[in-house]
Amino acid sequence: MLCESCEKRQATTHIKTIMNGELKEFNLCPECAKKLGYGSFFNNLGFDFDKLFGSFMDGFTTESNAKRCKQCGSSFEDIAKSGKVGCANCYETFYEELMPSIQRIHGRTSHTGKLAHSAGTEVRLRNEISKYKLQLEKAIKEQEFEKAAELRDRIKELEQNSVHGKE
Amino acid sequence: MTEKKNDSLKNVSDVVISTRIRFARNLRDYPFPCRLSNDKKVKVAAIVKDAVLEDHSAISDRFRYIQMSELTQEEAVSLVERHLVSPEFISDRQGRGLLLLDDESVSIMINEEDHIRIQVLKPDMELDAAYDLADKIDTLLDEQLNFAFNDKLGYLTQCPTNIGTGMRASLMMHLPALQESGSMGRIASSLSKLGLVIRGMYGEGTEPGGSIYQLSNQVTLGISEQEAINNLRDIANQLITQERAARAAIIKNISIIDRVYRSYAILHYAKLLSGDECMRLLSNLRLGVESGLFEDVDLETINSLFVEIQPATLMKNIGKKLAPQERDQIRAELVRSALLQKKIPANRRLQ
Repeated sequence: MLCESCEKRQATTHIKTIMNGELKEFNLCPECAKKLGYGSFFNNLGFDFDKLFGSFMDGFTTESNAKRCKQCGSSFEDIAKSGKVGCANCYETFYEELMPSIQRIHGRTSHTGKLAHSAGTEVRLRNEISKYKLQLEKAIKEQEFEKAAELRDRIKELEQNSVHGKE
Repeated sequence: MTEKKNDSLKNVSDVVISTRIRFARNLRDYPFPCRLSNDKKVKVAAIVKDAVLEDHSAISDRFRYIQMSELTQEEAVSLVERHLVSPEFISDRQGRGLLLLDDESVSIMINEEDHIRIQVLKPDMELDAAYDLADKIDTLLDEQLNFAFNDKLGYLTQCPTNIGTGMRASLMMHLPALQESGSMGRIASSLSKLGLVIRGMYGEGTEPGGSIYQLSNQVTLGISEQEAINNLRDIANQLITQERAARAAIIKNISIIDRVYRSYAILHYAKLLSGDECMRLLSNLRLGVESGLFEDVDLETINSLFVEIQPATLMKNIGKKLAPQERDQIRAELVRSALLQKKIPANRRLQ
């Protein structure tokens, strides 16, 4: 499909927007998209799926191309092309393949923050420790040393319970 | 750190219009919406709907369920204009459902990009209150549904840009002076280095109408909800300070003062107002109020006009489809009466 703005180049960006109360959809080439202020979401992040995954795909043998997620049937190529992961299980099936881009998007590779009730006990412990560490930092900064000592003891205790706590 | 200084910025309604917190969640046992058949989408919608409505908590009685495919086009677009759903959500309404709280401060989109998108919207800068409410609803759902969660990657989402907390915190900000001074490009590029992003009024890929921008966190993995919110608040406070300084400078300029007063006059007397023109004039008017040029208009009136003058919301409230010129006429009347309404009681009090 050709770009609807310049009608010359191939359209690669699909835009949905509300104009005058109506939902409008456009297909634009990367140049026009950028000119019109619709820089690709991924380009904004310095993250270009085509290039990134493209260069990955080169290195793959047909065997890994054929690998499919058992739950939803996605191949890694499906994910790379659409930028959409098929299901929760895909993250396990294609963990190695997805990791470099995840790291590029977020700069980090492991979760901190709220946990679902299905989370394991180890991660629960780790999460609690990092929460107390934040509080400890704050207590020290605010010179509340009594509270800081209490927090330090609690962290120590938790770390003894956690096998990987001292990582 | 700058924490102490930031605390002094208490009333920021001259710059911040509203706060939004959004959580992305998915059910473990179903493929993400991009891989979901229509039948399965209907099933997911039913599961989520039941989890919310059949929960016997105080808040569950206050939700109503809307099947998106049953709405008219105006009703659907109006939901976007009121920031209750994303533009993406109404592009294909099959198998999609919406749970809306009675005061419209909470919306739960089902089968948007993820199975569940919990969104809390509050006026002014209310990051903590909005987060607490979103967190509460999420916890309530987590007790009943099996969320897709991985110990290492956190909440799993269809797009890898949302994994981890799955949280997007946004502030809608009015930044006319920074826009006028041509600083937005520079600001946007420096924000991206800090894990934040600034976009137009209706989010991803939209133009900033009326100098209204959305500032949100971009990074969701490896940063806790609280850290992300604190980070957003720090940056927002810096932007507020910059915007105020820029306003103080430009509002001395006679051509800006002229523009503000002209906007005031046109909004009071115009018989036809197009959507774009109206947004621009309202933005100028807001700048005038923020800078103390006039006191007979309040920010709340302008904030609600920003939404009510949008075409689909206009038609929805009138209850029929309108031709563009009819729409412009009704818009002009609406603005005029909203601006006058505030004045009449004040005048009467004076007499």
